[in-house]
Amino acid sequence: MTSELTSNITNQLKDLMRGRSAASAWRERRHLLDTRDLTKEELDLFIETAALFKRAHEHEPPLTLLTGITVANIFYENSTRTRSSFEIAARRLGADVINLDTKASSVTKGETIVDTARQLVSMRVGAVVQRHSAAGSAHLVARELGRSVQVINAGDGWHAHPTQGLLDLFTMTEVRPNLEGAKVAIIGDITHSRVARSNIWLLKTRGAHVHVAGPPTLIPPAMEQMGVTVHQQLEPAIENADFIIMLRLQLERQAQGLVPSIGEYRRLYRLDHTRLKIAQASVKVLHPGPVNRGIELTDELVDDPYYSLITTQITNGVATRMAALYLLMADQAI
Amino acid sequence: MNESILFKGATVIDPTSGFEGQQDVRVKDGIVAAMHANLTADEADTVIAARGLWLTPGLIDMHTHLRDLGQKDKEDLESGTKAAAAGGFTTVVAMANTDPPVDNSSTLAVLLARIQERAVIEVLPIASVTKGLQGAELTNMVELSDMGAVAFSDDGMCIANLAVLRRALEYARLTGRRIISHAEDKDLSVGGSLQECCGTSSYGIKGIPSASETAAVAREIEIVRLTNAPYHFTHISCAASVQLIDRAKQDGLPITADVTPHHLALSVDDIEPFDSNYKMKPPLRLQSDQAALVAGLKDGTIDAIATDHAPHTRMEKETVLEDAAVGVIGLETAFSICYEKLVASGALKPSHLVELFTTKPAQILSLPLPTLKVGLPANITLIDPGHRWAYDPRSGASKSHNSPFAGRLMTGKAILTVFRGKIVYRDDTYLSSRNNGA
Repeated sequence: MTSELTSNITNQLKDLMRGRSAASAWRERRHLLDTRDLTKEELDLFIETAALFKRAHEHEPPLTLLTGITVANIFYENSTRTRSSFEIAARRLGADVINLDTKASSVTKGETIVDTARQLVSMRVGAVVQRHSAAGSAHLVARELGRSVQVINAGDGWHAHPTQGLLDLFTMTEVRPNLEGAKVAIIGDITHSRVARSNIWLLKTRGAHVHVAGPPTLIPPAMEQMGVTVHQQLEPAIENADFIIMLRLQLERQAQGLVPSIGEYRRLYRLDHTRLKIAQASVKVLHPGPVNRGIELTDELVDDPYYSLITTQITNGVATRMAALYLLMADQAI
Repeated sequence: MNESILFKGATVIDPTSGFEGQQDVRVKDGIVAAMHANLTADEADTVIAARGLWLTPGLIDMHTHLRDLGQKDKEDLESGTKAAAAGGFTTVVAMANTDPPVDNSSTLAVLLARIQERAVIEVLPIASVTKGLQGAELTNMVELSDMGAVAFSDDGMCIANLAVLRRALEYARLTGRRIISHAEDKDLSVGGSLQECCGTSSYGIKGIPSASETAAVAREIEIVRLTNAPYHFTHISCAASVQLIDRAKQDGLPITADVTPHHLALSVDDIEPFDSNYKMKPPLRLQSDQAALVAGLKDGTIDAIATDHAPHTRMEKETVLEDAAVGVIGLETAFSICYEKLVASGALKPSHLVELFTTKPAQILSLPLPTLKVGLPANITLIDPGHRWAYDPRSGASKSHNSPFAGRLMTGKAILTVFRGKIVYRDDTYLSSRNNGA
């Protein structure tokens, strides 16, 4: 049954990859560090691959596409959800998975990041999925060890979280296949958000109009030069929007003096059914999770299946990560 | 030591005396023994064919971190001064933020003894303004000055308390020495790695706004106005700082300033994202700032060039950007970078560039003005302004390799450095190929 299913998927994947230069572009990429230079063709292929895995994922037995490969999840920052999603994705493809949860306090220096990855490389780990609090940490490992291991960035500081961006893109594409000309609003703490950055690059490549809004203290300088429209208020950003991505507000931002109070933030930027009326009637709402219920979004909106894609995002996370692992690593499998 | 060196046909550039022209120069017994349009070689002479080469007073770097005292894995007096000699310097002024800092007479005595033992060129120490670089209690400035400290600075541990700065400036008058300021408002720059701009925004890197320098320059100028004591701003990097200093000078305040080669040659647009060899303080600014710095040198608002040579080990640098040590090395590339940026581009005359590396820093620090004159100690730099070379930090003299200029092709280079009559650096590859070719 297992091999039958795999061979069925294998054939579908073969058909999908046939004659697609994007397939070799993905393999040659080797690493997934950020989303800024992913081409339109690579994204097309990615979304189709993710869709295929999403369908396959509904069958129970695991595939054997990455059998013989070991994927190491190294998480210097806690994220049970992202780590589980990567783990399930790798296992579904038949890879072996090891998890390394390392307290950030004991490992903070970059040399140790490289050393940790190097030890795993010596144990013939094929891919490192890494989350770390410093921007550029995945680039550092790729630069130092990139010839012997493939690096997938599972979040580096404020910089990038490519698989989150890709799963958001995949989720939006399921609703509206062509994002050309779509209005997408990203609301909240843009400065500290790797999710916002990864989404912005992808959405621009897909031809969407990206609008951001948040307190001026949480919008990075010269943001317009990234090709987005910047608003201080929520309303002009979500007006006629096709999608709204709400970001998580880290509650420590108040202590840092970046927002005066959670109450004031809620008053200005919390999305509810009333405010949503100025968006497109078909508008969908996303959130990378975990949601601070009642702060970024009202409880009712989080759980409203008409507007909220939050549960779908979590489901799509697995298929997205399967697609990423497969496209980057398929030819490495024994 | 009876070694005698005869430089034949060199273009002598001596900004202190104002002389510029072709001369033969003989160095013997540690001094300049003869200078004449035509000197005949005798048996004792090692003759160096120097036609087309610049012969200048030894260069001075007024801002160097030699690290000796506690941080010798980064640099020590021998490696640091050899790197300086290779860059054409015969004098470097060593910053006080060693471990321990140079904030008392016994530490300074240890440093002076080590300089005596290890340095291949002249090293002039700077002492700290406050004890432990803590920005609170003043050091024994008079005692330290009497022992040989040529200036006072807490460098990167800027004095945030303006009342302390005021007292420091008033008290330093007793010494006749200048206080050197690394002007930075630390609350504005905290945690930052690079100049705040579109690049830091898009890469999610914490930025440093220009105001962290300009706000500090502005308020410190007001303390100089209050005390009228001599004050020097090191490694000025922003166009607005140049303006503030220009206005302060027009007001007659005793203020001077220097700029680094890397701030002249590079801007945020040259940065490789996440490469810590572009991380320094102040950060590389915008192209408009670069242009203002060049203009500031041209019109004299900025008085000198200084390297802020800041060696760090590979481990301290090859890490994530936000954790990486701050600073870059610069002694071996300073002249070449500035030659290319300032003279080859036509912005400055050769003598002006030499002045920024010799007479000017000496004036700022009230040192004897370096000049080429019969009977004076022979501190000489021989430069080939046309020499094309590729910089590889790994084959350099410094213990550290943290340079943004690694692999860069450059024009103009010091090929021979003489300190008190003795050759302390020679570019053997260059000299042998030149002799063979000639």
